[in-house]
Amino acid sequence: MSSTEQGTSSAAPAEPTTAPESAAAPEVPESFYYVHGKDKVVHKVSAGALQHSALIHGMISNLGYTEEQAKANPFPFENIDGDILQMVVDWCNQHKGKPTPPEDTNLPKQKEKLFDLVLAVNYLEIKELLTYCCKQVAMMVKGKSPEEIREIWMIPTDAEDEAAEKEAKKRAGKEAAGETAAAAGDAK
Amino acid sequence: MKLSKFPYLVQAEIFGNMKTKDLFWLSFVSKNMKKMIKSFQIMRFQSISRITYNNFNNKWYVGILFKKKTMWTMENCMGMNTIMTMSEHLDGTKNVFKLNVTGKTIGFRVSDEFPLPKAYFHPRVPEAFFHPNLKESAFKAIHNYISDFFGDTVVYQWIAKSYKHFIPQLPNLSLWVTMRPHCPEVTENIEKFFASYPNIKHLSIRWDKLQSISPESQFYQADSIRIFQPCLPSLQAFLRNFKGRQATLLKCECGFVELIKFMKRWRSGEALQNLEYLNLSLTFGRHRNEVLSANWVKRTTATKRPPTHSVADLSAPEPSYKPHTDPIISRTYIVRETDNRVASVSIQGKTFSFGVWEETEEEFLRMLK
Repeated sequence: MSSTEQGTSSAAPAEPTTAPESAAAPEVPESFYYVHGKDKVVHKVSAGALQHSALIHGMISNLGYTEEQAKANPFPFENIDGDILQMVVDWCNQHKGKPTPPEDTNLPKQKEKLFDLVLAVNYLEIKELLTYCCKQVAMMVKGKSPEEIREIWMIPTDAEDEAAEKEAKKRAGKEAAGETAAAAGDAK
Repeated sequence: MKLSKFPYLVQAEIFGNMKTKDLFWLSFVSKNMKKMIKSFQIMRFQSISRITYNNFNNKWYVGILFKKKTMWTMENCMGMNTIMTMSEHLDGTKNVFKLNVTGKTIGFRVSDEFPLPKAYFHPRVPEAFFHPNLKESAFKAIHNYISDFFGDTVVYQWIAKSYKHFIPQLPNLSLWVTMRPHCPEVTENIEKFFASYPNIKHLSIRWDKLQSISPESQFYQADSIRIFQPCLPSLQAFLRNFKGRQATLLKCECGFVELIKFMKRWRSGEALQNLEYLNLSLTFGRHRNEVLSANWVKRTTATKRPPTHSVADLSAPEPSYKPHTDPIISRTYIVRETDNRVASVSIQGKTFSFGVWEETEEEFLRMLK
């Protein structure tokens, strides 16, 4: 598990604590990178753990940062809540260099947390974790009636869909009319 | 949690992790949702071989069979292959909700009446229930919904364990019927049944008066027939009039004369034109020499191995279990005079097997190895 401390919004992030390594000490010293979410709390994560994220892996593969450079330039993920990023970092650390098990039972049970985690994991392109999360989301509606499913996943009714479609058409019509009027004005 | 806020690919991944029965129920939530599932799950739906409507204890079970055994086993072993049930009864109704099913409002409940271990075989799936008088229209609405959802690559199969059970008259519904009429049953009733359901895919029947059925009856046009213990007149009538593709007759009272007559008729091309496969298990006699001694029965050369005849078994209740008819490997064959097509003939002990090839004699002989 990685430990964190509250960061600030200043350019120089606070000194992060190091995540304990689950694997035996490698022969070549491992490189570390730093990430932070919306809350600016900086997490120190090994390159090995970050390999799970195709997005970050792509970013760091050609950087060649020194430890100091990496510390000074944490990757900002402003669209991810701090506690969600913490979960992602923990997961990456726990599964560093290990084959991923067929199931993961440590995912959040609360709907909103799981929702945010799915979005974060999808953004960071962590394929295995995304699969676990989607399985968990799928399990939420197992054996439920259509009305129960609608409530859980907040799916609009046909009438609501139709109303939204009408509204969108109206808006598009207005926008088109506005553009035509503006073009006519320009022509004059 | 708002599902629509997830990116398109995430929604696809979620659907991919759902059981087919849950996707089916999700489709009732809205028209847009149904459309989306159909577009995301094309591959899964194309891997479904059959959707079956099966009656058991006054309840109809709608089940899914996948083409691949592995997929079938995965869901079935977990009791997941039933997507819904249908019932006329209103007893013990719980969790009632109503759904619009292709324009018809139908009541549903989620039944938890089965305690373990029965629940293992009767998964907790929603059950449509309706007044007996509305059965026909309810089945129609439900079948139309199901066939629209899963698409036209699936075979929809109504399995009736008796000709007296209710069978809906619906398009694109294959009928599999088991019949054990009592001996006193009048032929007229049986003929009436076949006239009402002219497109039977598979019929399994045991009746002592089969010979009384008119040669023009739709009975002889079933794609596949399995007959138990036909008496000699029944067997003679059947071999004279059958117009379907596959037949298995068990415990036949049959002499070699009938077998030779049958082969002659096929060979002349005047009857049995659709026949692909015939298997007779005989109660007595060893007819090998008599049957195969006719001078129009041919033999392939002893130094080469004859090809194996086997076709998709139309009688298999679950194609993943027995996809093909029993193989016929025989050196003896006959050739149809009208189109030169070949039929392999085999007599092993008390079993007579007859397999018709697509190939002409010339093509057939080229297949020898």
